[in-house]
Amino acid sequence: MRGAPKNSSSSPLRVVIAEDSGLLRDGLARLLIDAGLYVVAEVGNGPGLISAVQRHRPDVAVVDVRMPPSYRDEGLKAAIEARRRVPNLSVLVLSQYVEERYGTELLESGATGVGYLLKDRVADVPDFVTAVRDVASGSTVLDPEVVDQLLARRRDQRLAALTPREQEVLSLIAEGRSNRAIAKILFVTEGAVEKHVKSIFGKLGLAQTEDDHRRVLAVLTYLHR
Amino acid sequence: MSESVTSGPNAKPRRGAVGPARSPFFAGLGASVGFLLPNLPLGIFWFAALVVLILLGILLAVAWLVVMAVTLAMLWLIRKPNWHMLIRGPTSIFAPAMSLCIRGAQAERRRVARFLGEAAPSAYRQLPQGSLFARASTRVKDLATWRDLAYLLLLLPVGAAEFALVIGAFALPLVTIILPTWLFVAFPEGVPLGQGVRIDTPLEALIIAIITLPVSALVGYLLVVGMSKAHAALGQTLLWPSKRARLARRVEELTESRSRAVEAAIVERRRIERDLHDGAQQRLVSLAIGLGLAREKIATDPQTARELIEEAHGEVKRTLAEIRDLVRGIHPTVLSDRGLDAAISALAVRCPVPVEVNVELDGRPPEAAETTAYFVVAEALANVAKHSEASEAQVFVRREYKPQDRLVVEVVDDGKGGADFEAGTGLTGLTDRLAALDGHLFVKSPTGGPTQVHAELPLGALHGTA
Repeated sequence: MRGAPKNSSSSPLRVVIAEDSGLLRDGLARLLIDAGLYVVAEVGNGPGLISAVQRHRPDVAVVDVRMPPSYRDEGLKAAIEARRRVPNLSVLVLSQYVEERYGTELLESGATGVGYLLKDRVADVPDFVTAVRDVASGSTVLDPEVVDQLLARRRDQRLAALTPREQEVLSLIAEGRSNRAIAKILFVTEGAVEKHVKSIFGKLGLAQTEDDHRRVLAVLTYLHR
Repeated sequence: MSESVTSGPNAKPRRGAVGPARSPFFAGLGASVGFLLPNLPLGIFWFAALVVLILLGILLAVAWLVVMAVTLAMLWLIRKPNWHMLIRGPTSIFAPAMSLCIRGAQAERRRVARFLGEAAPSAYRQLPQGSLFARASTRVKDLATWRDLAYLLLLLPVGAAEFALVIGAFALPLVTIILPTWLFVAFPEGVPLGQGVRIDTPLEALIIAIITLPVSALVGYLLVVGMSKAHAALGQTLLWPSKRARLARRVEELTESRSRAVEAAIVERRRIERDLHDGAQQRLVSLAIGLGLAREKIATDPQTARELIEEAHGEVKRTLAEIRDLVRGIHPTVLSDRGLDAAISALAVRCPVPVEVNVELDGRPPEAAETTAYFVVAEALANVAKHSEASEAQVFVRREYKPQDRLVVEVVDDGKGGADFEAGTGLTGLTDRLAALDGHLFVKSPTGGPTQVHAELPLGALHGTA
């Protein structure tokens, strides 16, 4: 256990890290501890992850897809299994490659508190820490590449009817961004984003919702269909 | 004008065989008769043509030998003569007979193959490049040529016998029908069948005719069908490549495909080396320089150091992306994890042209076949994106069990066509990869489109892993 709470006023997020490469595990731990999180366990394989989350009940588990013994998708399988055994467990899966197929498998295990990011994204420390916090709080965070693949796979007339700006907004919704975050990225006002969102949901025939989280799910379900 | 590019020993993908065995009674009879009756006229033609050409050839050759021997003997008095001329002459003299013989045998091979419902095999040794003499001498040394000649000469007596028997087979039931009438015209007193039994009323004659008709019809039918099968067997014995020739050819193919596979592996390794050297390695060097500079500056000029670190950070991310693409090109993880459907879907979504993916497989094919199939699709889709100007493409992957267990991969687009084997190394590389597994690539790409890439991978000899 590393990274004792720095300020005692609010209890820090408790994290389990599952990553077989010692170098990367240390790096991840250092980065999260620096950001004020509390790393309760570090493990190097699937069974280790499952027993660690059962023992520590962390707020979020950060899991590498490729782990021993098969070095294929052990981590993904372990993450899905861990979510089955510990309900409401939030999991952020990291991978050297993001594949739409893995993303959808992960979403099928329950689409709340799920993240799926390219490992490279760790390099943008503040964004990565935000993603970890978002997933821990029950949000869905998808790598832009996965979203691109989802969008590419679902080519239909309704999607084609969206303006380029609306498509941009749709991608950002699917990545799990809030209206405020979208407004910041696109350099527009929150009001403008709201207008786009309304128009997108109208064109795709989805039910309007105020809740950011339910909104992500609606979009992902639409793309995934 | 349409231009099409193909590769592999057969120009067309094989379709399922349609043999006489599956045909109904009369269709089978018709096919057999249609196969047998032409044997006599064809036999007469080939026999006459070949015998005339060969006899003429013998006369000419004898004349040639005499004239040349005398000439050379006389020349010998002046300088050393070239004795090879003696052999070259007759070979050229018999070339027309040989060429005709091979043409005839090819036609017969196609006819027998059509009757059997299979593809006509190629029976000959490969011809060398070079002079007429070199090619002719390969033909002479090839046992297949002599077997062809034997078949064509045999076609006359065999064809005649078959012709007679077919006529007989049809006459048999006919005779059975008219026999009673004829008997009463010839024997008004009744026909003695021997041992005191006589047919003396029209009713008796009719009854006997009715009883014997099915028997004679069946005998005739079996005779014709059996004979057609026997003739096809004769054709296969003489016209089809001998076991020895088949094995020799197989060894040639395997030797060639092995060296191509080795070649392909070397080319691939060189490409990876080049990509790593020009890409990731250079980036890492510049990264090391940038970070080294930053370390020097950090005390004296923290602002510059900070910028240098920013740059280095960006450089690392670009290197990561580059290595990721490179590794994916060597072997995509999703293929080993989830199989062809997932891996091809991933290719499809990365393709700028909309791609429809249809993978119909129960279970996972052997890994070697899976990987090769994946790269066929990857290369074909890369070509679709780069050259075709297509607005959409379709990928089909399925397993077919007849005539042999194989994996079939098809990539079709609606682009402008004109794909060229010579222009890009991509397609040739694929042919090599496929050849290593005994597979074949067929590319149909007429100018104006559409382009159709069709690959077949036999699975019989591969061991499943998943």
